[in-house]
Amino acid sequence: MKKSSNSVCDTCAHFNPDGLKKLGIKTSDFDFVVALAGNPNTGKSTVFNALTGLRQHTGNWPGKTVTRAEGAFEYNQQKFKLIDLPGTYSLLSTSEDEEVARNFILFGKPTVTVIVVDASRLERNLNLVLQILEITNKAVLCLNLIDEAERNNIQINTRILAKDLGIPIVPTNARLQKGIPELIQTISELANNKIKCKPRRIKNIPKDIEKAVQELSSALEQEYPAITNSRWIAFRLLEGDTQIIESLESGEILA
Amino acid sequence: MSKKNIDNIIALAKDLRWQIGDDYHDSLIESIYADAAEIVNDTVTKDKEKSKFRLDAKIDKIVTSRIWGFPIMLLVLGVVLWLTIIGANYPSSLLAELLLDSIHPVLKNLGTSIGFPWWLNGFLFDGVYLAVAWVIAVMLPPMAIFFPLFTLLEDFGYLPRVAFNMDALFKKSGAHGKQALTMSMGFGCNAAGVVATRIIDSPRERLIAIITNNFSLCNGRWPTQILLATIFIGAVVPKSYSSFASLSAVIGIAVLGIFFMFFFSWALSKTVLKGEVSTFNLELPPYRPPVFWKTIYTSLIDRTLIVLWRAIVFAAPAGAVIWLISNIYIGNESIAAWTVYSLDGFGFLLGLNGVILLAYIVAIPANEIVIPTILMLTVMVRGISGGEGVGVMFELDSVTGTADILRAGGWTLLTAVNVMLFSLLHNPCSTTIYTIYKETNSMKWTVVASILPVIAGFIVTFLVAQVWRILV
Amino acid sequence: MKYNPYIALLLFLGISLLLYYIFRPNRGLYFLLKKSYRLNNKVAIEDILKLLYHNQTNNNSLTANDITNNLNFSHSLIIDSIKKMMDSDLISLEGDTIKLTNSGNEYSLRIIRAHRLWEKYLSEKTGFHNREWHERAEKKEHELSVEDTNKLSALLGNPKFDPHGDPIPTRTGKMALKQGTPLSNLGVGFVGRIIHIEDKPEIIYKQILAENIHINSIVRVIENNTTRIVFHSEGEKFVLAPIVAGNITISVLEKKKIDEENVTRLISLKENETATIIGLSKESRGENRRRLLDLGFVKGASIQIDLLNPLGDPKAFLIKGTSIAIRKNQASKILIKKN
Repeated sequence: MKKSSNSVCDTCAHFNPDGLKKLGIKTSDFDFVVALAGNPNTGKSTVFNALTGLRQHTGNWPGKTVTRAEGAFEYNQQKFKLIDLPGTYSLLSTSEDEEVARNFILFGKPTVTVIVVDASRLERNLNLVLQILEITNKAVLCLNLIDEAERNNIQINTRILAKDLGIPIVPTNARLQKGIPELIQTISELANNKIKCKPRRIKNIPKDIEKAVQELSSALEQEYPAITNSRWIAFRLLEGDTQIIESLESGEILA
Repeated sequence: MSKKNIDNIIALAKDLRWQIGDDYHDSLIESIYADAAEIVNDTVTKDKEKSKFRLDAKIDKIVTSRIWGFPIMLLVLGVVLWLTIIGANYPSSLLAELLLDSIHPVLKNLGTSIGFPWWLNGFLFDGVYLAVAWVIAVMLPPMAIFFPLFTLLEDFGYLPRVAFNMDALFKKSGAHGKQALTMSMGFGCNAAGVVATRIIDSPRERLIAIITNNFSLCNGRWPTQILLATIFIGAVVPKSYSSFASLSAVIGIAVLGIFFMFFFSWALSKTVLKGEVSTFNLELPPYRPPVFWKTIYTSLIDRTLIVLWRAIVFAAPAGAVIWLISNIYIGNESIAAWTVYSLDGFGFLLGLNGVILLAYIVAIPANEIVIPTILMLTVMVRGISGGEGVGVMFELDSVTGTADILRAGGWTLLTAVNVMLFSLLHNPCSTTIYTIYKETNSMKWTVVASILPVIAGFIVTFLVAQVWRILV
Repeated sequence: MKYNPYIALLLFLGISLLLYYIFRPNRGLYFLLKKSYRLNNKVAIEDILKLLYHNQTNNNSLTANDITNNLNFSHSLIIDSIKKMMDSDLISLEGDTIKLTNSGNEYSLRIIRAHRLWEKYLSEKTGFHNREWHERAEKKEHELSVEDTNKLSALLGNPKFDPHGDPIPTRTGKMALKQGTPLSNLGVGFVGRIIHIEDKPEIIYKQILAENIHINSIVRVIENNTTRIVFHSEGEKFVLAPIVAGNITISVLEKKKIDEENVTRLISLKENETATIIGLSKESRGENRRRLLDLGFVKGASIQIDLLNPLGDPKAFLIKGTSIAIRKNQASKILIKKN
């Protein structure tokens, strides 16, 4: 489940460098959709550029990407379309950026979601990670800026982290292309169902709320047996999210 | 799926929501963070003794200190603007020489030799081509210097500290500290400044920043200010002070723009923008060494493309219009002449004249062509010898030559001062208007942002003109 | 007319003055006209109903003259409205005093519901200053239909209390009870939670707001005499005149339950001190509150000052590994316990 090394790994057995083509903005005829989510200022756009070979401007400023950007790459004859979502701290509030990101992960149904986090600020970033893991089952954590964390004497045990979160972890330093091959390989394996995720669900919820969530989500599951993120929808219903209510009424949530 | 079951679920949700009460959102976020803390406890070890945050902290202490914070900011902005204006001079004149003096006659000759009728030749090369060439020559070099410098500062992480230092000032006028950045971006290009307001995540403060961005004197307007200050302001004082006086005048105009920005931010937040949601938070990211060449390259390509696109989409039609209104006659006067005569009265009231007003109308797409258009129209309408021909914009190499034409066109010191003021306070160029519309997605705010500065311009120039005439 | 700069200036001055008189905020001609257009029977009737309702709950009886004295309408409009209300069976006369009928009672609860819901809406979803909520709701309550009110209530999650702590009547007219004592009646040493801040009369309300006293915060009375009441709350000391303190309602707490003795506001944190966040004050609302939570200002988080500002405000705090600057008015609504 876990990718071990954080060295440049173009020659590793599992990564096939000849199979990689960065397609820039040619996003037609793709096999898989990959969403790129993360907090502002975690180098998400840099990861996007490293994957697609594009040169979207990135800055040391929280919140550079507001509209979503698209790009693509080809790996082992499969085309991956990449959507760079706006950086957000959370998916539970009402700002415009959050709506774009939330709606895409929920309704756009990406095959794989890459969650980019700043390795030296893991705790704050996990807020968003844990929320995303309630929505989607196929995700990979891109532990970016790993060099900065090392410089600050922060060590992360990726093996335990992967176990705790139930998704693969790839440490990267996207500015120097470090870890990008492993990331591509992991995305591909996830898309082709070679890795199974068992994403963590939020614990520690107060009893009365947990009870309400369970009641609501089991009602949802009874109504829609195919649903995978009933807990998230329950969270949103308890928040009074009108968009979710409408999508339930129209059936869009299942489409 | 039955509609009834879904309604039941929604009703159940409403019921449960009432039961768990107001603190639901807080509790949910708290439990997520509690989870996060557990996970981090399991997986992250941090050697606190050897924390390397020290250099960052040292830089921060200096750039936000009581004594050095503001001088450093002014110095940095000053250096960036100085490098832009001085550094752009040479490539600008080189481009002008190439595009205007060398290629333009070649194109015209080519047109004649392949048998274009005079009007097509004029329309294409004197109208469309010249406007495009002018915008490129005036705008490209400063943009190519200003924005990479700015981007380097941004990548390094200095800009959020500027917002941090300045926030108290902006808060007083109801705005966000990050507006300091979008305002500075506006000194380069207002359209870029408007796009940059995306960094402001509070909708109300973002609108204020968008609407008032035009009060930053942009690169397209600096040359006008410098030229007029040199000709008219520099001439009032003894020769040894003249460059100092004209420089102060230009800086004075830019500072006046900042004053208007604060004033209108305040006025907007007290009136039409009162009830909009307003939030504030500012993340101060760690400093990161910029990837120098890549940054320069990316931002150069980005900006160059914007300028070229702008020159073609907006300036080309403007050039066409200028040529057409000067060459289409109604009775025995051209449309341009008629318009100038009818605007003369209003222009006089504002201490300007019809030529200037018409130039500002046709130059809405691109402020860079204001001076060439004014010169062309002055020569044509006032019947002064010189110039390049009807509908052909031109500029003179010698400042004195330009001064002679303007003076012969009836310009006084008052006219120059008021043109400088009006160049600061008028509607944004059409690229900016278009960008404002795209960013706000609202006709209403686009109109407000476009009209507000013109009204300010009319009032200010009017008042200056009347008081001037009474006192002088 | 021949041009003369003096005349031009005078003309300009004249036009500006004219525009000022027409459009100056609130008292301009334009707004007065709009207001008088609004002042029809409906508004008068509804305001009379509210007045009667509030007085009835305090066991005051009112005559027609009392109504005229209390409301800002012309006497004839009030007499006319009272007639119409009699006709539609909203009120009844007992001698001189006017009483609400059952349907009148229902109607007034509907208006109060609309008013308090709108105040809740303004506090959660807009950026209007809390000084303005009441006045805006006074206008809006007459415009909202029953259906609008129900939609609004659903949008806000069917809240039980408005931002001042007043209960919002439900669709069927039920109201949560508010039990408490005025702060002015609280003896020295007593501890309680602020559950309500009265928003009328406005002068006193604005004074309370200016003091930065927050609803739901815990207070402890230090001194109480006829000239002043001194109390501690959230690490700050407040001094109020008894008449002002009388408009703050307190629910007295048992001594056992109080574990928030050392709680202070984040603004009082000094450089080189560390603290743990206790929570956000209820006074931090809407989008702002959510954003602070998202940024990690949650219960249990450890916090310290990262950077001071050359102009004093905002300050940057180190929270969960990141330096985040927030303004003074936000920091005053974050409660901490110093380590």
